[in-house]
Amino acid sequence: MSKVVKMENGNETTISDMLGSIERYNPDHLPILQEYVQEQARDNTYDLEANLAVLKLYQFNPQLLNLDITYTILLKCLTNLPHTDFVLAKYLLLPLQMQDETVKDIIILADILEKCDFELFWERADKTPERFKQISGFFDSIRKYVSHVIGITYQTIDKDLLKRLLGRIDDKTLDLWLKKNGWKVSGKIVSIATQDVTIKTKNITEKIEFDNLGAIMAQCL
Amino acid sequence: MYQDDYGNPELYEEYCHTGDPQLDLEYERQPYYKQMPETVKNFLLNFSSAIKEGVLFDIQNMYENTFPQLSDHHFDKTSWPDEQEVAPLVNDDKVFMILYKELYYRHIHARQPGGPKLEQRVNSFFNYCDFFNLILSSESPVLLELPDIWLWELVDEFVYQFQNFAQYRARLTDKTEEEMEQLVSNSNVWSILCILNVLHSLVDISNIKKQLQAAAEGNDPQAVAGEFGGHSFYKMLGYFSLVGLLRVHSLLGDYYQAIKVLEPIELHKKSPYTHIPACQISTSYYVGFAYMMMRRYSDAIRTFSSILLYIQRTKQLYSSRSYQNDQINKQTDQMYHLLAICLVLHPQYIDESIQQVLREKNYQDSMYKMQCGDLESFKSFFMFACPRFVSPCPPSSDAPLEDYVKDPLEHQLQVFMDEVRQQKELPIIRSYLKLYTTLPIEKLASFMTDQSNKEEGTVATQDGVSDVEISNLLVHLLCFKHKMKNIVWTKGSSGLEGKFQSGSELDFFIDSDMIHIADTKVSHRYGDFFIRKILKFEDLNYKLKNINIK
Repeated sequence: MSKVVKMENGNETTISDMLGSIERYNPDHLPILQEYVQEQARDNTYDLEANLAVLKLYQFNPQLLNLDITYTILLKCLTNLPHTDFVLAKYLLLPLQMQDETVKDIIILADILEKCDFELFWERADKTPERFKQISGFFDSIRKYVSHVIGITYQTIDKDLLKRLLGRIDDKTLDLWLKKNGWKVSGKIVSIATQDVTIKTKNITEKIEFDNLGAIMAQCL
Repeated sequence: MYQDDYGNPELYEEYCHTGDPQLDLEYERQPYYKQMPETVKNFLLNFSSAIKEGVLFDIQNMYENTFPQLSDHHFDKTSWPDEQEVAPLVNDDKVFMILYKELYYRHIHARQPGGPKLEQRVNSFFNYCDFFNLILSSESPVLLELPDIWLWELVDEFVYQFQNFAQYRARLTDKTEEEMEQLVSNSNVWSILCILNVLHSLVDISNIKKQLQAAAEGNDPQAVAGEFGGHSFYKMLGYFSLVGLLRVHSLLGDYYQAIKVLEPIELHKKSPYTHIPACQISTSYYVGFAYMMMRRYSDAIRTFSSILLYIQRTKQLYSSRSYQNDQINKQTDQMYHLLAICLVLHPQYIDESIQQVLREKNYQDSMYKMQCGDLESFKSFFMFACPRFVSPCPPSSDAPLEDYVKDPLEHQLQVFMDEVRQQKELPIIRSYLKLYTTLPIEKLASFMTDQSNKEEGTVATQDGVSDVEISNLLVHLLCFKHKMKNIVWTKGSSGLEGKFQSGSELDFFIDSDMIHIADTKVSHRYGDFFIRKILKFEDLNYKLKNINIK
């Protein structure tokens, strides 16, 4: 991370070093951290720790609350699904943020994604396209998450269903995602992975080694 | 104020020993009795000289045994003698007075009916400031030796009093105008920044992070300890402050930081720092809780079961009632509740002796209800077992005079319950999948429809299942896979890192229209059985040998 923060004593330090010290609670650093959030949205990069530090500064200084930054942070969290970043951020929200209509709306979107109702998600996202424009690569991140869930669930899947889950994409885009994930098409069926190798019935049996028994057996002699 | 405490001076003169110990005891319990009992006086003198000379064994004995005994006997519902009375006794020994006041205010927090008054809370805070200033701003390490148990309880109490104060200031309904004014004028008292500052400073001055890292790499921690960290006093304070930070962050709902501050600590390993059971248990409680909130159920279950197993094995140590054991027993109870929640959301094979406890009625019934999707049971378990969350800031100055104590809890509860609601259908699906090794999607959909029809009291109108029902089921199946695949810690000292794993006992995959199910089978454990039989047989053999037939 190259971003640099100027400290009170004139020294410069990186954001990650600053976050490792007590300085992370200094509200003077909020502007640069907020700028950093916007930079992440623009450049499609991601730094959960810095973003949570921003929410924490709002928690400590409610008068500094910035709702636009809050939206950006929450949407960025969604791009890192299947990780639980969104929930972590949600725990830190203030009543004021929870009551905001846009925040409520983003929480509903997160809920839909967490429940894996992907078709419903694409339907809703279509209604407010401008909200996601500021987050570069937002939809592709969601598709990546959808691919992850499909990848752990299916051995083979119907091609049309797959297209719907990925957001009613056309054949050309589908080819791109097939290639990315290493999926193969044969007719109407797409093979995802050979799950039967990894998902097998587990047997938990008690293992008693000879060494464990040695002492007891020796006593019996 | 000091004068007033004495009340009517005439009553004083009447006081004299009657020679009857029973009567004397009665006398001492009279409210107007204020003269310090001899035993207390002697205790204070011995205590101060032990601390001055650094006789750890004596200090620990007086701290752990004599002080609580005298508290029970003389000061059950009242405070210990205040500083004006004690200071002349010990020649105004500054260090001793700070330590004495630490115990004095701690006693008030624990025993005073109605809780400490605002003034007492403020003074306690300033006393902690005096203590931390003394040890942090000194140019060379302060030569003070205190038993580790005291250092742990000091840091723990410091965080506790912060938490208690944060709740106190959030309750605007029971304050007089004067108290409100005092609260505003003392806005820096028990402020979150002070707390974090103190704990961070203790961590930094002791170089505890470097020391732990060096130890983990097999190097000598003393080499990186620095001037202060080389002293056990500073080193232990630094370690306990890491745990203090874990607790503070958890109280604020920042679970990421909570786990992150513990990064240098290898949680699952025995180390020279794990000899204070209360500290270890408290650490596991907050770590396990944070994992649960992060949806890392495997990690939470592992953390809880390993500490609960440890508690089970050392149980006899906590059976007597003392202030330390009460805390441990309560946290143990809370952890069983949290473990129950985790196991409902993420069924997994755990140690038999822990499972045994969860088979007891109150757990068994509630777990069954939670499995059936009863949200109230989840709520009541959560509320019983969660930490007492606080808000880092007082209510804003123009806020209506209401009680804001519950707000932080309500928020954490809501976010957690959102998660539970998202997973509500999963146990039902799991219960069906458990019965099969392969199951067509359509068939499962018809089971689910039957179930919901039964619940709504309607009769199925058609034989087959509709496309909508199938696609609803598909969503649930995807959700099942998603929620059961979580980050699980695998190696290294960072508790945050890990790999995606599905550690739950039931797993499946979908091949076109067919669900293939993989269950976990636990075969009968025979080792235990044989050991018991062998012991019984040996016993019998022994008795037989000792029979003398004449």
